[in-house]
Amino acid sequence: MAARDPAALREAIARHAGPLHRIAWRMTGDSHEAEDIVQEAMLRLWNHAPRLAARHPAGSGAASTLRLSGWLKRVVTNLAIDRLRLARRVSGEDVPERADDTPLADVRIEADQGDGSTRALVMALPERQRAAIVLTYYEDLPNGEAAAAMDMNIKAFESLLHRARAGLRQAFAAQGDAR
Amino acid sequence: MSGVDHDDGAPIAPGSPLARVLDDFAVPALPAGFADRVLAAAEARPSPLPELRRSGGGGGRGQGRGWRLGRRMAIGAIGFGALATAAAATGLLDRFDLPAVPSPEKVWASITGKEAAPVPAAAPVVPPPADPEPAALAPVRIEGRIDTPEELGEAFRRIDEVRQGRVEARRQIIDSRIESEIERRRAAGLPLPTPEEEARVRQRIEDARTRREGLVAERIEARREELLQRVESGEGLTREDIARPLRDDARALERAGRLERLRRMTPQQRREALRQLPADERRELIEAWRQRRAGRLDGETAATASTPAPERPEASPAPEPQTSQFGTPGDPSAAAAPL
Repeated sequence: MAARDPAALREAIARHAGPLHRIAWRMTGDSHEAEDIVQEAMLRLWNHAPRLAARHPAGSGAASTLRLSGWLKRVVTNLAIDRLRLARRVSGEDVPERADDTPLADVRIEADQGDGSTRALVMALPERQRAAIVLTYYEDLPNGEAAAAMDMNIKAFESLLHRARAGLRQAFAAQGDAR
Repeated sequence: MSGVDHDDGAPIAPGSPLARVLDDFAVPALPAGFADRVLAAAEARPSPLPELRRSGGGGGRGQGRGWRLGRRMAIGAIGFGALATAAAATGLLDRFDLPAVPSPEKVWASITGKEAAPVPAAAPVVPPPADPEPAALAPVRIEGRIDTPEELGEAFRRIDEVRQGRVEARRQIIDSRIESEIERRRAAGLPLPTPEEEARVRQRIEDARTRREGLVAERIEARREELLQRVESGEGLTREDIARPLRDDARALERAGRLERLRRMTPQQRREALRQLPADERRELIEAWRQRRAGRLDGETAATASTPAPERPEASPAPEPQTSQFGTPGDPSAAAAPL
């Protein structure tokens, strides 16, 4: 990859794109956004490969500590959080003049109860709590690796994860009560 | 709110209702041409710009920072050393009275164990010129009243000693001024006087001094004769009797200096300077000028017996002196004769 070999990039995509796409999709809930995020992450790997190779020369101890999947997951998580925050800022400022005929959140939850109540549960979480649930529950990452993917120390991440689980349980209970 | 779990933040147990719901969150697969699309984007994307800062020669980030820090510290130490060496070499430390750097002779003497060669004695420092008035009033101790010619002679001898010191100090001041002026002209690249010109200037100064001292000596002689007659007639003299005329003459000297300064001014400057003086001083100055002018005219009248009369249109001083009349050159020593 550091030698700008497209075959190496193709191999990296084949190996890492699936898990990265899962994270991005569960974070954003949008397949186009998720594909864009994964593509951007792979392109950043393509650009940073020479620098990464220089810092972690082959055969050295630094190379053994480099976990490419961890680096990519951190990039994807940060990109997803950034896009969610950007979308919230942009959509929150524009108030449509005509009545918005899209269904409200609770209506959408009811409508998606059959096939998408889980998605609504996860999407109702704040983005960082959502990332914590995605990384630990769905990707089954240890807390340490998940904290590294979110650029947090372990204690702060555990606190965040605790709040995320509590929020999820409360939303799940609220869903059950609504039914 | 809910009766789910007591610890809402506990891990989600597999098989629990919440876990079963969460497991339903299925993810669609990536499209088939995703890799080709990324590769095409990678090919289209320009290669990244080089880093703005060197990363430290392949080492870690901290290592590069360490090298940079060390290099800065080395540059700072070398720079400080160069500045300190330059300061010591130029004698700046001695100027600020910092006895930090010994001279090379001392260092060599400490190495070889020999005494350092004695430093050649510096040129005798000329004492700063004494103020003329205090010098004139130099302490000449007189015990009790002077009522015998011997005591008076002793007093005159002491006064002469002081006068001789003053004369010597003046000569040294003149020499040092000439030297400093020559040095200044040499530093400024101005033409220097030839030895003949310098000797001529010195001779002119010496002539003026001799003439002035001759006049002064005449006055002193007359004054001493008068004092001696007073002592011989049985009168006891005090220190004030001798010193008072000195004070008067000191004032006369100052007045003569003022007149000389005024004489060198342009008529406009002189008029303005006179206008700015207090009325008393202005009157005193004008009166001194009149006396000086009258004395000079008397001297010239006496001299006409043997020499042709100089061209001088005014035969007597003007009743109301104009400031421009101070432009007539005169002999400063005529009014500057002490005692």
